[in-house]
Amino acid sequence: MSTPASTTSEIESEEKSVANISLESITDGKNSRGIPTTKFLDDIETFANSFSPPASPELLIGAYSDLYSKFKAYEQQLSQKSATFREKLPEIEKSIALVRHLKKKKEEGSSVVTRYNLADTIYAKAEVDCSQGIVNLWLGANVMLEYTYDEALSLLTSKENLAKKEFKEVTEDLTFTRNQIITSEVNISRIYNWDVRRKRANLATRSN
Amino acid sequence: MPEGNGMILAKEEENDAEVRREDQDKINEFGRLNARLYEVREEISSLKKLLEKIDDASTELMMGNGDRVMLRLGEAMFEATEDEATEFCEAEVERHQETVDKLSEEESEILERQAELKKILYGRFGKSINLEEK
Repeated sequence: MSTPASTTSEIESEEKSVANISLESITDGKNSRGIPTTKFLDDIETFANSFSPPASPELLIGAYSDLYSKFKAYEQQLSQKSATFREKLPEIEKSIALVRHLKKKKEEGSSVVTRYNLADTIYAKAEVDCSQGIVNLWLGANVMLEYTYDEALSLLTSKENLAKKEFKEVTEDLTFTRNQIITSEVNISRIYNWDVRRKRANLATRSN
Repeated sequence: MPEGNGMILAKEEENDAEVRREDQDKINEFGRLNARLYEVREEISSLKKLLEKIDDASTELMMGNGDRVMLRLGEAMFEATEDEATEFCEAEVERHQETVDKLSEEESEILERQAELKKILYGRFGKSINLEEK
């Protein structure tokens, strides 16, 4: 590994120089949204020896632990994003239901008597004349726009679809990241076990 | 997992089966299904609570005296006749019940697949792997 893009650990010991484990050597490329894929180690011995000088188990475990913590942090972010979407979607659906209700009332030709939130604990009575066919939608950033019922419905449904699409993406990323976390954990265990067995074998051959 | 639950096996209990890529994939699938299982269970429980609330509301409606009732859509309340409100409640109940049924189905599918994976992985790794809930 001649030119690592980012080194995860560099330990200088007195007798020998140690391998630089780059992020690329322990990952297998990235998924479509730039999350690195953990490399699955078919054979740990060959993998350790593929570095020059051969990487020590501590180094490998260190590198994978770092990767593991990065993934964990990213998973947290994604879970939060996913929770926000879970909240936003029902809100949009409620707005759509409201506009549909008003539209229905307009077609029936009746007006609607409603109680709306005047202040935190006070509701005020209002009579809404549906024949106008106008709603005002809050677009955020202190902006409110006037729409006809149909325009409002199409805007809200397109918002809903966009939110659903992004929610799906976040869920996919979350699944992918969890897979990488599990793979990294298993890799760490296997490197550790491999090292234990190796040391045991060395002891056995030495005592013979 | 090294620090995990401190399960150090006796030498005889150690399982030397190497973890192959397909095993890794199965382990990943199990973890993925587990996460999804928790999500599904949470959704089912919150929907069930919602259904209970709507049920209570419908009961109140039935006991009502034929007056106009307030129906809450979003943040504002609209005056509606008892019939309209009952209709609305029934439609909501149907909608949510459908979702609950679908989710319950998904839950049992997940459990089935997890049982299959457990059998395969325990068969392969014996005590070296732990697939139980905490």
